[in-house]
Amino acid sequence: MKDITLGQYYPSDSFTHKMDARVKLVLVVAFIVAVFLAKNFLSYIAVAACVICATLVSRIPISKMLKSIKAIIMILIFTGILNLMFYNGETVYWSWWRFNVSLEGIIFSVKMVLRLVLLVMGTTLLTFTTTPTGITDGMESLMSPLKYIKVPVHDIAVIMSIALRFIPILSEEVDKIMMAQKARGASFDTGGLVSRAKALLPILIPLFVSAFRRADELALALDARCYNATPNRTRYQVMKFGWRDLAGVIGTAVFIVLVVALNNNFWGAYQSVEAAWWLFAV
Amino acid sequence: MDENARVSNEVVIKADGVDFSYRSGEYVSRGVTGINLEVRRGEFLVILGRNGSGKSTLAKLLNGFLIPDEGIVTVMGTDTADENKIYEVRSKVGMVFQNPDNQMVASVVENDVAFGPENLGIPRAEIEERVTEALETVGMSEYRKGSPNKLSGGQKQRIAIAAILAMRPDVVILDESTAMLDPKGRREIMDTVMNLNREKGMTVVLITHYMDEAIEADRIFVMNDGKITASGAPKDVFLNYDKVKAAGLELPVASKVSKALIEAGYDLPFAITDEELAKSICRLKQKI
Ligand SMILES: Nc1ncnc2c1ncn2[C@@H]1O[C@H](COP(=O)(O)OP(=O)(O)O)[C@@H](O)[C@H]1O
Ligand SMILES: [Mg+2]
Repeated sequence: MKDITLGQYYPSDSFTHKMDARVKLVLVVAFIVAVFLAKNFLSYIAVAACVICATLVSRIPISKMLKSIKAIIMILIFTGILNLMFYNGETVYWSWWRFNVSLEGIIFSVKMVLRLVLLVMGTTLLTFTTTPTGITDGMESLMSPLKYIKVPVHDIAVIMSIALRFIPILSEEVDKIMMAQKARGASFDTGGLVSRAKALLPILIPLFVSAFRRADELALALDARCYNATPNRTRYQVMKFGWRDLAGVIGTAVFIVLVVALNNNFWGAYQSVEAAWWLFAV
Repeated sequence: MDENARVSNEVVIKADGVDFSYRSGEYVSRGVTGINLEVRRGEFLVILGRNGSGKSTLAKLLNGFLIPDEGIVTVMGTDTADENKIYEVRSKVGMVFQNPDNQMVASVVENDVAFGPENLGIPRAEIEERVTEALETVGMSEYRKGSPNKLSGGQKQRIAIAAILAMRPDVVILDESTAMLDPKGRREIMDTVMNLNREKGMTVVLITHYMDEAIEADRIFVMNDGKITASGAPKDVFLNYDKVKAAGLELPVASKVSKALIEAGYDLPFAITDEELAKSICRLKQKI
């Protein structure tokens, strides 16, 4: 509950911070595609290089990036071990009951873990460099064609913005309620699954009550600020496709082409370099 | 500062014989009855009353959140019951609520302040200007690009005030906006409000149950059981001790002390501020 770095803006004036949120959103999607395209270690290296370049131009401290990986460390370990155990490889080193640890299994699980790490790093770069408002505004703008089929794009964007704003508030509230219940002798980390689930009830009920009260007041506050007063709403956040965005698009495109090329053995160029050939082959 | 120049005769909000009760099906609960009041431009008006006395109901009647069952509320001549002009009314009468967290919609201060003007369709360049000015007025310029989550209660509430100011309203109503704050936060908000009224000439309606926040008001309205039971300059209202007590309110400490001294037979004037009390006690000492 404490660590919600996933989705926390890191204020700075860097190249990436100044990019258009819409472009960043599109580039992140392109990046995710690139991660899934990557097949061999050489193309993984290319994707990693892309993330590192992006981190450097964003001037996000390495410690911040590592923290976001730490948040999913359990998932990484779990994924790694499961893939290691259950992969049906040929070169088996160790085997017990249904578990086989093979060379292929090791390589596969390393790739899976690497893929997750790269995905998290790439996407958190977006949230580190773009304010939640920027993200919602960007999405609103990208979704705006949907207006013509009567999708309430702006309302969706406001709902998203409010949700993002209230995540830390509600998580703080959960902490407070837990503390209050603990002070009355409640225990959340002992007993079996059922009793633990039951112990959550005295947290969820006050949380819902409070959330609904907040919603009530928030509705009034929206009205007080003339929400939906005019269909010709203006926008404070300017979104402009600038030279940085062009550079970002070109840079990402280069990396994607590189990944595809590396996937395909650079059309036969590897065999001449033995180390490269090995990385390609695995 | 020239008092007469600050408060003009122009009536910004006028409530005339207003009744309102909440209905849900069979069930009716009394909101307010027989409300008559005028808010004049530049005035600092305080509405006092205990919990459930109808203060919030009255506030919501003044900006068209609620429409009177009987009587009429006009904002600069516009009837709040006119549905076509409801946003005009709300942009003129800005409202700040109790819980600062529940009034913010964006995760960055400047975007939150810009939300109102955006809704009103103000051109971008002017929004920028308004955000800058509003944040400056409440003394929060340096937090412009930051997140509201890490701010103190008083600071958050100042952002909420700025968000209303950015709509350039004619009146700002604060409905118990100090009630959830610690003493420091309360002080911050009171200073901001006083500055707003005295320096910027903004018309302020402050709703509270703390009598000490009413000391500097131009006029006070005391509410009890949905009715206005007393009104006038702070000193006159505080002197009317029975009505204040009947409304479930506590006099400021200075008033209590001076009242006790007067009742004990000492010859000194009724005081509402600490300074007044201190001065009259000094004078009393010199005489003895
Ligand atoms: N939404 C509502 N529905 C029904 N009754 C309400 C509602 N809001 C307030 N009331 C009633 O109206 C009266 C005045 O309440 P309110 O204006 O909130 O007082 P205050 O703000 O001074 O505490 C109270 O008796 C309260 O029970
Ligand atoms: Mg109230």
